[in-house]
Amino acid sequence: MLPLRYALGNLIARRTRTALTVGVIALVVLAISLFSGLVSSLRHTLVSTGSADTLVVLRKGSTNDGSSAVPLEAVKALRYFEGVARDSSDQPLASPELVVQPFFRTRQGGRENVLVRGVEPMALQVHRGITIVAGRMFEASRGEAIIGKSVADRYVGAELGSELVFGRSKWKVVGIFESGGSSLESETWVDARELAADSKRPVPYSGLRLRVAAGTDPDALARRIGDDPRWALDAMPETEYYDKQAESASIFYVIAIGLAVLTGIGATFGATNTLYAAVQARRAEIGTLRAIGFSRFSILTSFLIESLALALVGFLIGSVLAVGLGHLVSFLLGGIAFGASTFTTNVVELRVGPFDLAASLVLALSVGIAGGFFPALRAARLRPIEALRRG
Amino acid sequence: MIELRDVSRTYKRGADAIRALDHVTLDIDSGRFVALMGPSGSGKSTLLNIVAGLDRPDSGEVVVAGQKLPDMSEDELAAFRARHVGFVFQFFNLIPVLTARGNVELPLLLTHLGKAERRERALTALRIVGLEERAEHHPNELSGGEQQRVAIARAIVSDPEIVVADEPTGDLDAKNAVEILELLRALCTDFGKTVVMVTHDARAEAHVDIIHSLDKGVLADPEMAARA
Repeated sequence: MLPLRYALGNLIARRTRTALTVGVIALVVLAISLFSGLVSSLRHTLVSTGSADTLVVLRKGSTNDGSSAVPLEAVKALRYFEGVARDSSDQPLASPELVVQPFFRTRQGGRENVLVRGVEPMALQVHRGITIVAGRMFEASRGEAIIGKSVADRYVGAELGSELVFGRSKWKVVGIFESGGSSLESETWVDARELAADSKRPVPYSGLRLRVAAGTDPDALARRIGDDPRWALDAMPETEYYDKQAESASIFYVIAIGLAVLTGIGATFGATNTLYAAVQARRAEIGTLRAIGFSRFSILTSFLIESLALALVGFLIGSVLAVGLGHLVSFLLGGIAFGASTFTTNVVELRVGPFDLAASLVLALSVGIAGGFFPALRAARLRPIEALRRG
Repeated sequence: MIELRDVSRTYKRGADAIRALDHVTLDIDSGRFVALMGPSGSGKSTLLNIVAGLDRPDSGEVVVAGQKLPDMSEDELAAFRARHVGFVFQFFNLIPVLTARGNVELPLLLTHLGKAERRERALTALRIVGLEERAEHHPNELSGGEQQRVAIARAIVSDPEIVVADEPTGDLDAKNAVEILELLRALCTDFGKTVVMVTHDARAEAHVDIIHSLDKGVLADPEMAARA
């Protein structure tokens, strides 16, 4: 086998060409890592919101809280269904909720639909992982609100002690909550009855969250609710509900794959070009190595190693840039706003994670192998006497 | 050592067929320094390539170091060259990104020798050609004569029986050319190598044992050189 320093030495010897090819691969890696990072962050935000032992109850046919309405009698009855979990004071872990989607004014002067969820205090126990990180929970009938971490500072009045203006009222922000990066962090929560009164909704609740008791099959309870002839309701585990919401992210994956393929092909041409030129410039060298006794396979591998080295260096530079840029975007913008399928805004923090980098690595190595293979094959197939002939 | 019987080789150039070798029969004994001479296109390089296992005849027998070359596959020929033949080229053909030692070590990478022994042997070969102290220099830091010496060190490092040299003095000034011819002579005399050299250089006559002249692919009667 030819020594590694032969392959690497040749890359260093042809610096400009090497730098240009590495640059192209690095740009492809940067673009794909960032885009993939954005899509996975969006999916993470939506998917991590759900928990398997919490049921979402909506009107039959509704796909989200915003387009649903659940009658008051149903809410009252469902709280006491067998299989609904209870807290330490034997209160059912049921959270009737009203969702409206008013416009909030952003600090930059734009307008965005934000999901405002009217809840009762029990909501903090039914929704898992909600932590109030500043201030306190709102008190009912006092025009108070708590806001998710992503809402804070993004909109006019969205800070502790300030007043948010939406609907027909002003709401004083008394607390800020986190929920492990889920989409709930893009919501504003107020008292359900106050919100119903403010939005003049004839039916006060759009949906109901129920925590399923340990030992009860969530699907069985969901079926019982769906089959109850008194109301036309559907129930499903929260995980399933948010999976459906996350389907909107799937189209971005398709775009990401398309983008990866197209830019990858471009970079492959670049790498191929570099290596064809290298083979042409090194014909006599290849002839000499073949004359000395190196096999075609040794020549093939050596050129493939050159190509893979180009790809790896491109990947390293591109991925460092992607991770850095991801942090910079999050630091400067605080996140990227996405329209969810409910038409409300989800603020997604751009994170380039191991999965995104692994996908970029696979892409970069594919570019290296595809770009290097044909030039390497040409080098390996050169007959020694033809390669040694000058001119 | 080298036996060619009735060897012919024809090349196609466009629609024309060019007969590079025409029923050539030739024996070269072990330990001789042989020059192949003749005008351009006379077939001397083709003859050298066939002896070295780089090219195959269309017909005839070629036995080198006891092996019938025309029967071998490409990979077998590569292995044959690695074991039995050292190469010296007109333009030295050193690998620019490797040092003198790195270049000389190349043929040893095809053996099972360990790193330390490869290094030791490469330095020994460089010592034989008088360039041990230049071992860590790259080819672009060496003169033409020095580069050709490194190439000779590379040709002998794996101790092959045969060294083939294609116009080894063609790109050198008079002083260096004579030094290279003396070095090749020493390979025969001191190390028992069989050296086959294609050359136009009239100075070669003073160093070789036998001169074979070719013209239009036909071998003339061997001419005993001045020193034989």
